Amino acid sequence: MIECPSCGRQHRPGTLFCSECGVYLLTGGPLRTEPLPESEMPASRADPWAAGAPATAEAPPATLTITVVANGRQIPLINTKECVIGRLDATRGVFPDVDLSPDGGLEGGVSRRHARIQQQRTQYFIEDLGSANGTFLNGQRLTPYLPHPLHDGDELQIGRIRLQIGLH
Amino acid sequence: METSRDYYTVLGVPPDATPEEIKKAYRQLARQYHPDAQEAPGTAMLFREVQAAYDVIGDAAKRAAYDRTRADVGLSPESAFQIRLQYSRDVLPCIEEEQVLYVLANIQAAQAIQRRQRLPLNLGLVLDRSTSMQGPRLDQVKAATCQLIDTLDKDDSFSVVTFSDHAEVVWASQAVNDPIRAKAKVNAIQASGGTEILQGMLAGLGELEKRRRTQAINRLILLTDGQTYGDEDKCLAQAVEAKRRGISITCMGLGEDWNDTLLDAIASRSGGTSAYVTNADDVSRLFRDQLHGLGTLYASDLQMTVRRSEGMTLKSVFRLTPYLVRLTLDQDVISLGTLQTDSPLTLLLELIIHSHPPGTHRLAQLEITGDVPILERRGERLRQDLTLDFTPQTPSAPPAVPPAILSVLAKITIFQMQENAWKSLEKGDVAEATRRLEAMATRLLDLGEHQLARAALLEAGRLARSGHLSPAGRKTIKYGTRSLSLTQGRSHD
Repeated sequence: MIECPSCGRQHRPGTLFCSECGVYLLTGGPLRTEPLPESEMPASRADPWAAGAPATAEAPPATLTITVVANGRQIPLINTKECVIGRLDATRGVFPDVDLSPDGGLEGGVSRRHARIQQQRTQYFIEDLGSANGTFLNGQRLTPYLPHPLHDGDELQIGRIRLQIGLH
Repeated sequence: METSRDYYTVLGVPPDATPEEIKKAYRQLARQYHPDAQEAPGTAMLFREVQAAYDVIGDAAKRAAYDRTRADVGLSPESAFQIRLQYSRDVLPCIEEEQVLYVLANIQAAQAIQRRQRLPLNLGLVLDRSTSMQGPRLDQVKAATCQLIDTLDKDDSFSVVTFSDHAEVVWASQAVNDPIRAKAKVNAIQASGGTEILQGMLAGLGELEKRRRTQAINRLILLTDGQTYGDEDKCLAQAVEAKRRGISITCMGLGEDWNDTLLDAIASRSGGTSAYVTNADDVSRLFRDQLHGLGTLYASDLQMTVRRSEGMTLKSVFRLTPYLVRLTLDQDVISLGTLQTDSPLTLLLELIIHSHPPGTHRLAQLEITGDVPILERRGERLRQDLTLDFTPQTPSAPPAVPPAILSVLAKITIFQMQENAWKSLEKGDVAEATRRLEAMATRLLDLGEHQLARAALLEAGRLARSGHLSPAGRKTIKYGTRSLSLTQGRSHD
């Protein structure tokens, strides 16, 4: 048998590439990782866990309140595991849990299924659902489908609609 | 690897040369290479070769026998296919252990086909008109359909079926003599309702059946943007039945929400292809590509049978054209799909070779069979031996691997890493799936595939944090890796 110089996996003689790590087996040697050009990477690369949940497993905040900054409308979410923020469109069968159409969602560039708030462990996370105009957390645009932790007082921007997060 | 020198090649005449042409060529070469006329080393051997060739093909009876043996290896002027094999190593060491050998097989049309010559089409469109198609999506599909109508010939049959919760025949199977009326019908399609693919398939295949001929290309194009629920098995059964009747199905998935596993399976079971359309604007381009592909169809229902000796096992077979796909091995009979006149079909075989004593060994015989409707020939076959030398000497340096095999294998390896990542995910091993996606991204960077590498890294990050992938990311990686083989070796478009 021959051994992959990179991951140590055993292969039959004559094998040309390691099936596990993809290394070319005749030259061997460690893998060379090229850094991606900065322009191709999303703006936010912060590790959500680093700034995230406390180590002790305490009970999660029971109530999450979303306040629409422009008109002061308060949307309380009690014991919510998951909720979708967006714009209601009955003809296409889209009924988001938090509907921003009364707050000028259409003009504000809110997608039908714009973002999702999920509760995991003791923490709430916000995740952009590949929206047209993006979701911003405290001014930073989120990478689509990558959940980020939410904290009390965070400001969310859904398209152009600004929301304030309250956790109690 | 060259087969032994072909007698026609030795004399420099075409295989269908007349006896006079053969005699003339022989006389000229004999004068040129005659030992009395030439002192240069090697000419004596060339002279003997010319003499041996003329002894056989200069004699009518011997030539006929020789032509029959040539036909078996696919060299006769009548053969419909050509096959060329390249091995990762020409000589294998005699070792006790099992070893791996890769074989790159190029299969292509052996007969020239006139450029404008095309079989009539029996083409059926099955279009999703569920609510989610509403707006620009449906508009683009309608526009693409109208463009398609304009490119049809008088001899072609055409039908359009739409489906939501039920199916409707928009344009019953017939020749399009009145394109304006056909387009008006297409433009009247409205979106509403759910997605039940089976309903659409049944109606679409029903329309095709009305005009089904063996002397035509029978093809169904299924376009959907959603998931069907509960009728998946029946859809697959219909795909198998369609293939039996000579109808292959092209599946196009639009957007992110469709079931790629189901659509890929429908396509492969019916001998068709599948495509991922991220943007509705691409639909008309894909329709055009389809029509071009049908116009250059050479052979259909192509199969490869591997008659192998005890000395080897067939581990896997990949088809590299038009995109990378792992072919299913059914008792060493492999369904290859279709062959185009303008581009070869490339396969990569991964073989496990068992221990052999020194010498030359025949490991297997490959037989390609298929129908060539454009030549009105069915059950065409071509055989090619897979023969290899074994030596007791251990090589001093790593063997030189043909670059074509390396370039293909680099892509197949990434494709397999992707397959393995999905397998880990199905098992529920998120950590392993994440690691595999990250390793894959590294390899993609080595190949200079920055976009796809970035997609793989993003999905690895999502997976590690949330335990699931985004539907769009999964499809980008899946259809991106299988198209890796396209970035090289296709120059005609």
